[in-house]
Amino acid sequence: MDTLFSALAVILAGGILPLLLYRRFNLMKASAVIAIATGSLLGLIAILPVMQDTGPPPSTWSWQQFLTLSCSIDSLSAFFLVPIFIICPLAALYGFHYMDKSEESWRVAVNYLCLSLLIVSMVLVVCAGSLITFALAWELMSLSSYFLVVHEFQKKATRSAGYLYFVFAQAGAMCIFAAFGLIYSVTGSFSFDQLDQLPSRIKMAVFLLALLGFGSKAGIFPLHIWLPHAHPAAPSHISAIMSGVMIKMGIYGILRIYALLGDTSLLPGRVILAVGIVSGVLGVVYALGKHDIKRLLAYHSVENIGIILIGAGLGMIGVSTGNRAMAIFGFAGSLLHVLNHSIFKSLLFMGAGAVLQKTGTRHVDDLGGLIKRMPTTGRTFLVGSISISGLPPFNGFISEFLIYFAAFQGLTLPGVSFLFASLAIISLAVIGGLAATCFTKVVGIVFLGEPRTAGAALASEVQASMTLPMLLLALFCLVIGIFPAPFVQLAVFGLRDMTVIGAIDPATGQALVADLAFAARLFLGILLGVMLLRRVLYARKEITSGPTWGCGFTQPNVRMQYTGTSYAMSVVEFFQPFVRIRTAYSGIRRIFPGQTTYETRVDDIAEIAMYQYLLQPLVKLLDRLRWIQHGHIQLYIAYIVLTIVVLLLVF
Amino acid sequence: MESFVSFVLALLLAPLFPGVINKTKAIVAGKQGPPLLMKYYTLAKLCRKGSVYSTSSSFVFKMGPTVSFAAALMPLLFLPLAGTAPVFSFHGDVIVLFYIMGIGRFFTIAAALDTASPFEGMGAAREAFFSTLAEATIFAVLILFYRMSGSLSFADYFHGAKAVSLAGPTGALLLFVIVAMFMVLLTENSRVPVDDPQTHLELTMIHEVMILDHSGPDLALIELGAFFKLLFYSVFITHLLQPLVPAGPLVNGLLFYGILALVYVAVGVTESTMARFKMNLVPKYILTSFTLVFFAAILTMGFMQ
Repeated sequence: MDTLFSALAVILAGGILPLLLYRRFNLMKASAVIAIATGSLLGLIAILPVMQDTGPPPSTWSWQQFLTLSCSIDSLSAFFLVPIFIICPLAALYGFHYMDKSEESWRVAVNYLCLSLLIVSMVLVVCAGSLITFALAWELMSLSSYFLVVHEFQKKATRSAGYLYFVFAQAGAMCIFAAFGLIYSVTGSFSFDQLDQLPSRIKMAVFLLALLGFGSKAGIFPLHIWLPHAHPAAPSHISAIMSGVMIKMGIYGILRIYALLGDTSLLPGRVILAVGIVSGVLGVVYALGKHDIKRLLAYHSVENIGIILIGAGLGMIGVSTGNRAMAIFGFAGSLLHVLNHSIFKSLLFMGAGAVLQKTGTRHVDDLGGLIKRMPTTGRTFLVGSISISGLPPFNGFISEFLIYFAAFQGLTLPGVSFLFASLAIISLAVIGGLAATCFTKVVGIVFLGEPRTAGAALASEVQASMTLPMLLLALFCLVIGIFPAPFVQLAVFGLRDMTVIGAIDPATGQALVADLAFAARLFLGILLGVMLLRRVLYARKEITSGPTWGCGFTQPNVRMQYTGTSYAMSVVEFFQPFVRIRTAYSGIRRIFPGQTTYETRVDDIAEIAMYQYLLQPLVKLLDRLRWIQHGHIQLYIAYIVLTIVVLLLVF
Repeated sequence: MESFVSFVLALLLAPLFPGVINKTKAIVAGKQGPPLLMKYYTLAKLCRKGSVYSTSSSFVFKMGPTVSFAAALMPLLFLPLAGTAPVFSFHGDVIVLFYIMGIGRFFTIAAALDTASPFEGMGAAREAFFSTLAEATIFAVLILFYRMSGSLSFADYFHGAKAVSLAGPTGALLLFVIVAMFMVLLTENSRVPVDDPQTHLELTMIHEVMILDHSGPDLALIELGAFFKLLFYSVFITHLLQPLVPAGPLVNGLLFYGILALVYVAVGVTESTMARFKMNLVPKYILTSFTLVFFAAILTMGFMQ
């Protein structure tokens, strides 16, 4: 435990040093990056002892009598610490050149402070050993990330995105605290113990409240609205951390509460699975419909949270029905996907950030041909795209395969559980196909073809501090894809202390994983062979270059290229009425048409529904109570006195 | 060894069968048609040529044919052919192989978008959309097969004691699968009624338009890869149709290739008697195949608890 706390101290120092050094811009950034990287390395070392045995005993502090904080690490916490300590230092390094406005030195320093606070608070969230510690760490996490989102507060869009995020974070926290309050009202203690003793009805209520709260952080379907606004607003390395690591804290919360409650009825699993399927499919459909590259990636987070929850839901159903293989593979796939998603999603956000920095636009239809101008960014982004589409031989496939495997185990179950398992399989297949569609769109429109605007034509590669993290993350994607065994072991280790599953043989699934590794290597081998064959076929052949065949048209120009909008439209239309498409077309009425405009946008039904059925009635209701707020300070004091008197009389 | 010989034989025969389709179409139309070995001649001709690359394209364009060829070749290693066990096999290989085909498609589409041509973009969008829908059908088939055989590998589906068969107690369900997989075969291999391999009007095509800019040995790799893919789906259907005959391997092998040729003839007949669908009807067509298989999967709930 001491190593972990010293790691946190070093990371915190990485936040405070910049405040002192802000006059020396480069030194300040270097000190922050070095401290955060050192702290993270220490943190990774701190996890090692947990892997061997049950880990260090919980550490506890008391202040006065009522506040007792405690921290402990079990295998699940240790697993979630891994992405935190891997992604955050890389993102901090990426930020070194991404935040290169030396005239805003002070704000960059504050940004580093909030970043280190965010890292520390995330570590505390996964290590929290009691309800109160968890709640405090959770709030610290929400607040520090809020300040990171509003870094560019001069822009109105950023401020409103920040406000939306704040509201969702606090509303979610309210649900979590309500769940904790419910627990406290029954057990009378803030401890995590004895939660499995709760009456089953209370358990259900706690679980559903926690699902609402953690789900809004994780971005499950109807509660995801803040994600596509907050991610484009935040600086790209912050988006990488938030999407890659922070939203996983919601997943951690769900798994932790589930493990603590030890509820083995079928309902939690089915709810989680249904939520996962809806988030997964609709997340990727909306991603197809969006053309702001960071917003699109945000919707992909919704999709991947869906996949993670499908795995978790299958695991829970496996626990309830006593199907152990299904339980283990479901949960292990879910955990591994947490790690995988943190790797490829932060890689993709960093790539998007590099594009944004060099071209000044996030709209895919204004880009094009960047792989020739930004070769490293382009190649690593391609790797990230294949990984997130879940295609072998990269890492996304390994975790999706484990989840598939769990679902197939579930097919032997009777009745409704069979239907749930088969729906999981079909939705995974559809999600996979649509994700590949979406990322061929991003890669094809942004990085391939010809540049569509001058900004894209003049782009150049970003600095080494930005390409290095991307290269490392791309390498991780490939390594996990080809050597999956230790990583699957890590995920299975993460389940060790979840008592609902029971003792797990650490060799579970190793034979299967060895087969997967074999298939990945076989594919690479065949690919290598074909590349050699191609080289032989092209030996001493004449190779020339010329313009693209325009199908008889001799004056093609770059604006004729297929756009992201047209590429995705037929798929998005297919999913109506779950998405709403608005089109404004001026039409062509004369033989020699003048200026013609065509505009189409895809609206999120969750946003529309929340506005129509929640926000508008609420505003209408609160409007009637306006008279309470009149601005007379005397009367406000009277309110306070009156409240105290009433409270004293009642209690 | 036997498996390997069978595998190589299948690779060598792959370009022959599309000739069967063309011959069938020619006979139905009352023409003589190109020779059966035409595809071999085409491949040999392409391999002798050099290539022209578009100035718009990057290394992704050159990777397209290579990856899609490797992705089409690999599934055949895992598929039982002509009564022999596959070269490789493991529990779960079906999922891996359909995803391997996915990466082939990813690169074909990316290569098409790399040319900056609007026509190729159009084809790419259609390919991505339709194959996603077909994926739903394929995984529904896997669900049904898991219910029937409790297995996740081609070797168990089509070879050995647990093989699914029309003659088995649940064989009637396979009729749905045969029809649905034939529909998927037509979709995934760009045949009529989804796509038309003959037309040269770019606006209406899917697969052909995506490879407009490839030439020389690259195009040969794409063509041969397409033959392998067609062979894969045809073998899938052949296995479902093939009756169990208590005879030697030679008879079973011949029977296998006979039925395989019939599947190709069926493709040719379909192509001769149908027109291509309007693009907006294609999703409905593919979903029909999904519905058939999913219905069969639901039916299994009646007798398996």
